[in-house]
Amino acid sequence: MSTNPPNPRRVAVVTAMTIVALVAAAICGLVVGPTSIGTWRVVGAVFAHLGIGHDTMSSLQSTIVWQLRAPRMVLGLLAGAMLAVAGGTYQGVFRNPLADPYLLGVAAGAGLGATFAIVDIGSGLVTPTWTPLLAFVGAMIAVAFTWLVGGRGLRSSAATLILAGVAVAALLTSVQTYLQQQASSGSIVRVYIWLLGSLASASWSSVLLVLPYVVICIVVCVMAGRALDAMSVGEDESRSLGIRVRQVRFIVIAASSLGTAAIVSAVGLIGFVGIIVPHIVRLLVGTSYRRILPISVLFGAAFLVFADTLARTIMAPSELPLGVVTAAIGAPVFVLILSVRRSYVR
Amino acid sequence: MSWIDVENLRVTAGSKTLLSDVTLHVEAGTWCTIIGPNGAGKTTLVESVAGLRRIASGEVSVAGKSIAQLHERARARLVSLVPQQPQVPAGMTVQDYVGLGRVAYHGLLRAPSREDKNVVESVLDRLSLSDFAQRDVVTLSGGERQRMVLARALAQSTMVIVLDEPTTGLDVRHQMELLELLKNEVADCGLTVLATLHDLTLAGQFADRLVLLDEGEVVLDGAARDVVRSRELSERYGMNLRVLDVDGSDVIVPVRH
Repeated sequence: MSTNPPNPRRVAVVTAMTIVALVAAAICGLVVGPTSIGTWRVVGAVFAHLGIGHDTMSSLQSTIVWQLRAPRMVLGLLAGAMLAVAGGTYQGVFRNPLADPYLLGVAAGAGLGATFAIVDIGSGLVTPTWTPLLAFVGAMIAVAFTWLVGGRGLRSSAATLILAGVAVAALLTSVQTYLQQQASSGSIVRVYIWLLGSLASASWSSVLLVLPYVVICIVVCVMAGRALDAMSVGEDESRSLGIRVRQVRFIVIAASSLGTAAIVSAVGLIGFVGIIVPHIVRLLVGTSYRRILPISVLFGAAFLVFADTLARTIMAPSELPLGVVTAAIGAPVFVLILSVRRSYVR
Repeated sequence: MSWIDVENLRVTAGSKTLLSDVTLHVEAGTWCTIIGPNGAGKTTLVESVAGLRRIASGEVSVAGKSIAQLHERARARLVSLVPQQPQVPAGMTVQDYVGLGRVAYHGLLRAPSREDKNVVESVLDRLSLSDFAQRDVVTLSGGERQRMVLARALAQSTMVIVLDEPTTGLDVRHQMELLELLKNEVADCGLTVLATLHDLTLAGQFADRLVLLDEGEVVLDGAARDVVRSRELSERYGMNLRVLDVDGSDVIVPVRH
């Protein structure tokens, strides 16, 4: 096997194919569903929104496309993009191929927050609308706690932070399990559904709520590509090259965690995207984070929308948990690519 | 004029003192090599000069500027480092690796400028690495790899370069080649070199000055020719060292008891 870095032409081809996949995924997200509307009619309506041609959909069809499918598709794009780029930056900043966006306790904190909200709805202490807010707050508290436990991150090594994340996640998960144990069976089912992640409750208001966080965090993560490449020579060497390693680590972790927390609060815990997408992209375009991160944004967005389209249609009218579909598609693809190229992790 | 000034340096790790009251001044455009047995504190000293160690007391200055007071980027424009065991990231081209030496100039958000690219090309050319520029760094041999690490340090365009056992893992020919390349840079660019070396013969042949370090203290400091002939050297290494004159060059040979 050649270990030569991929040439620019290969990178351009992969980027172009990913953009095509992204557009195809977006169209699928709008077109596919229990009510058949017709691909060209939906595409025509999209162009009509851009001021080109005429919208031929009925008002019912318009409502289905623009109020049900479109926000779900857009939230899927945002979630896939954010989780994938956060996974890539975590893998870069921790120089650990097993890192994913939930590494520092985001999932455990959000899970605890959401469980608290769902379990205590019956008590009148909180209302259902509190679930995303408490999930977000729980996620951010968990990461902040990990940062503090891990020696404030500025003084500690990456390994110390990872171990702190493991400890904090275990602690919060134990509290969450205790809450579930005290809950009614109905609440437990709702917690379980939330933990598996879903885009079913997507609306334009949820899109608008997470949009600013996600866009800013994705931009920060993508801009960190050059820093992550430079930091691949290790902490001491990076510092000798003029890089403020711990400050870069803080910014990257903060952006990845904030964006992930925002997404998790809206769609629950969708696994696999954050770890698998950056690896697939790395296998296709090489080990430079300047290439991995922007392409992961596109790839992750396309991947999650395709997965969600399958999740809501494959067993219609009931939906499969999104996390099940992402794993069922992603794992075989990853194994296939891995069997072709075995050595790539930096 | 002195480019490296170490004054009463003390470095600790927990309760252990790694360097104790070390004072050292290295003149501009000269080559100073630190020698000493394992655990003497050589790596700690060069890493302190590179600004990578927390100093318990004392002062380290380069070009009159306190290293501890400088931000990483300003420091990287003053001192470059060739570490003992450099990390070589798979999948990176030699050109990109050497280009890391320019990060202190173009920063982490901007692409390298034309000047940055010119510096990298020049260094690759001087160190005979141009033919490997687009190769993956992991495909290089040990000698080529060490030249590449030196190239990255030279791309930093600093006036001071510190090297920690730069010849580790290289055969005799590649050791000599690497040190000759560095010697040429000293002669051509007026570089100031602070290096550690285990090989006393190479240390004596390439350095203008040798500093013998033992148990964190400076034991001997002088012209290379004087230090290698000192009785103290044998005593500190705990063995009988003989100096042979081969065609005008000192060769240090350990003698088995």
